[in-house]
Amino acid sequence: MEGVVVRGEGIRCRARTAAAYYRSYSTPALPAARRLLSSSNGVEEAAALPTSRQLCGKPRSPFAPLDLDLSLSLSLRVSTCAPSPRRRCSQVPGDVVLDLSEMTNQTIKLGTGLRQVTRLIGCTWDLQECDTIQATSAGMLRLSKPNKYWVESSQKRYIPSVEDTVLGIVVDTKPDNFVVDIKGPNLAFLPVLAFEGGTRRNIPKYEIGTLIYARVVKANSIMNPELSCMDVTGKAAEFGQLKGGYVFDSSTGMSRMLLSSPTCPVLEALGKKLSFEIAVGLNGRVWVNAPAADTVILVSNAIMRSESLSGIKQRAMVENLLERLS
Amino acid sequence: MEETRRADGRSPNQLRPFSCTGNPLHRAHGSARWAQGDTVVLAAVYGPKPGTRKGENPEKASIEVVWKPKTGQIGRQEKEYEMILKRTLQSICMLTVHPNTTTSVVLQVVGDDGSLLPCAINASCAALTFAGIPLKHLAVAIGCGVMENGAVILDTNTAEEQQLKSFAHLVFPNTRKSVDSKEPKEKDEEFERGLITSVTHGVMSEDDYFNCIERGLAASSRISDFMRKTLQKEASSVDA
Repeated sequence: MEGVVVRGEGIRCRARTAAAYYRSYSTPALPAARRLLSSSNGVEEAAALPTSRQLCGKPRSPFAPLDLDLSLSLSLRVSTCAPSPRRRCSQVPGDVVLDLSEMTNQTIKLGTGLRQVTRLIGCTWDLQECDTIQATSAGMLRLSKPNKYWVESSQKRYIPSVEDTVLGIVVDTKPDNFVVDIKGPNLAFLPVLAFEGGTRRNIPKYEIGTLIYARVVKANSIMNPELSCMDVTGKAAEFGQLKGGYVFDSSTGMSRMLLSSPTCPVLEALGKKLSFEIAVGLNGRVWVNAPAADTVILVSNAIMRSESLSGIKQRAMVENLLERLS
Repeated sequence: MEETRRADGRSPNQLRPFSCTGNPLHRAHGSARWAQGDTVVLAAVYGPKPGTRKGENPEKASIEVVWKPKTGQIGRQEKEYEMILKRTLQSICMLTVHPNTTTSVVLQVVGDDGSLLPCAINASCAALTFAGIPLKHLAVAIGCGVMENGAVILDTNTAEEQQLKSFAHLVFPNTRKSVDSKEPKEKDEEFERGLITSVTHGVMSEDDYFNCIERGLAASSRISDFMRKTLQKEASSVDA
């Protein structure tokens, strides 16, 4: 088989994807990356889950003005000792995660999959307020100290949140924006000028079907999300059109695993023997490019199969595939 | 009261063995295959997708149900099932989270041996959870029948449904689990559960109906536990 196997050249990842992952799903592990990005973004470090969406328990009118900068925390004040729910326990829609009637003056931040339910129960002379946080989706309850909760689950569709890097496909061009499909509940808009050095004279000509690596700038549930092909400082930073290669769909959980740091075992094992280029969108799309077509096929198959495998099994599977080829 | 014998040897409160397979379909965004004895329904969920159908409220997400029978053409019975399912699912989904979107639920009847509507509701609820649609709580459905001597039997099959003078399909919300549950249920969980949907056939007295609801509520906690285990297993198998 022709094909130069270069040891150690490994993976060239697009645009600091590891750091991008940690913007969306903060775990205590990487404070440095978080601090760097949040300070440049102007979001204060205290709101260390910058991309969590606010889910307000009271049904809000869809046309209420939503200020995105405010929309990071839901403050709740009640009194006394704070019971902490067990971390990493599995939730089903309707499960009560926290009972707020026994919690102290605390600010709690809710991420995806949780909502606040306030209800009055009892009879007319004995009305009690029942204030709880309930899960709205099935998954693992995660807690990030001191007070951030969210339910982690893996889906085929993507719910846009700010500062996520996604791979979109252009479905339409308008005078002011490109209309891009990012596998979410709404189509996203990419303004024609959101490129480095973009002016009316050098608008990129993207046809329908072009694959674009972009960053979500605005996302809330009622408007179409807005993308940008620049990073916060205005540089191009690997965003833009991805030419050639092969794109396939994965689940959102799989994308997060591929972007996790330390490097995911399957990518590490592949990177030791092969040289290829990969871009992972948090919306469940992966793009792979390599000089030889069989490398591309091998890498894509390895990634697609590694979804339900543990680290050791992933490495074993990759070794198996590589042996069969050589 | 003497033991009521059923034709297939089950006791009055005994349910048929049920099983749920998560995400058997690769193209659908969420899918589930729910089997109760020989009654098997495959539900697939696509969405949320942008845009609503004509006539739907754009301030809320809309749910569209398509029911495909095992044989024969689509007729009034299928349209009725679609409507019942749509109203039930609308009451469990949080519709204001993604306004102006459509979620499609497609149900395919693979086998029909009684209690078809409860099986379909369970399947579509599981499929919605696998697809990640935000839900207020789960919907757990069960079919109950009333015999001539007033006894209530659960999970009726086709032969029983044809002989009985009346039967009902009931849908309840699932039992809640509290993460830090120190005093379980002293605030009266039963009181909060309520009834989501009830479809009755035939004539039954009020007492019989309330009997059905009671038995159904008790059995629904078993089905609800089973659903919880299935969802957790599916979530953890993806997590690896």
